[in-house]
Amino acid sequence: MTRYTEMQLDALRELANIGSGTASTALSGMLGRAVDISVPNAKVLPFADAVEAAGNPEAEVTGIVLGIVGDMTGTVLLLVPPADADAMCRMLGVEPDDELGLSALGEIGNIVGTSYINALASMTGTDLEPTPPATATDMLGAIVESVLAATAQTGDVALVLDSNLMVEGEDCSISFLLVPDQGGVDQLLARLGLA
Amino acid sequence: MTPIETMVRMGELAVSSERGRVLVSLGLGSCIGLALVDRRMGIAGLAHIVLPQAQGHTNENSRRFADLAVPEMLEALDDLGARRVRLEAVLVGGASMFAVSAASMEVGQRNEAAVRAILQGLRIPVAAAATGGSRGRTIRVDVGTSAVTVREAGGKDTELLPASTTMETAA
Repeated sequence: MTRYTEMQLDALRELANIGSGTASTALSGMLGRAVDISVPNAKVLPFADAVEAAGNPEAEVTGIVLGIVGDMTGTVLLLVPPADADAMCRMLGVEPDDELGLSALGEIGNIVGTSYINALASMTGTDLEPTPPATATDMLGAIVESVLAATAQTGDVALVLDSNLMVEGEDCSISFLLVPDQGGVDQLLARLGLA
Repeated sequence: MTPIETMVRMGELAVSSERGRVLVSLGLGSCIGLALVDRRMGIAGLAHIVLPQAQGHTNENSRRFADLAVPEMLEALDDLGARRVRLEAVLVGGASMFAVSAASMEVGQRNEAAVRAILQGLRIPVAAAATGGSRGRTIRVDVGTSAVTVREAGGKDTELLPASTTMETAA
């Protein structure tokens, strides 16, 4: 099993912290409300445990996924539970249930995810580009495992950096997962002088 | 009898000959839930396959690949007394959860093609399948009766393979 040192995980956590800080500013600007962030986790888990850690596999959730291409490859996944998605749509003044609702969520994901990726790029001095977002509302397990599958060819474990964005004064949060490809983690660590 | 569920998570596999045991993979996306049943003996296995080929990658966690998971499951079924010629397969999953995305998201289709090719090579018939599309699915395999059901998000269990009405006593 691939392992990272505590120091490497700390550095990755710090990257996630700054990335989600930037993302929360972007979300706050879109919604016109203060957004808090949780302390990020950096977890290295076997795939089955990584899926389990995300929550009940059959729970319904909206996932917005952005690929990362460039010096490092990976995926950013934003997960929004249905009630939170509805609340966010209402803050933007759109009906949660129609096409517009889903596309508004996709746009939130796009802006929040892109700002996260840009923050990562500037911190590590790498050239990173987001791919256009894709959205699905379905079983949590199905969404998470499909994202992890993309990294499962070379590694036995998934590195997942996760944090929560919480809209202040509302029962509304987004969980935020960065899943670098195996080579991508080494790239990031090398840039930080911790490879 | 209250069913006892065995969770077969991402990259795992399980076999059983225990009546009342149900093998379950929750929330399959691009992964394939491959069930193999010997109806006569009341023996079944379920593999939660993630990718088509190991490409030389082998260790204790390699059963997430179709080309390693299927032989390993067959061996485990043999050990329980299943007969290869009686095995029937059911496939669930292989979806593309995100309609527009990178080529990596077509992994669901590649998974299904790989599993079908392996089964064909082994002459194991595919009795039923619920694959492709863009929806996540849950598969349940009732070991004693060989009944296999599938469920989509917010939906009800649909029967893919019917339960046996009679079962011979295992020798």
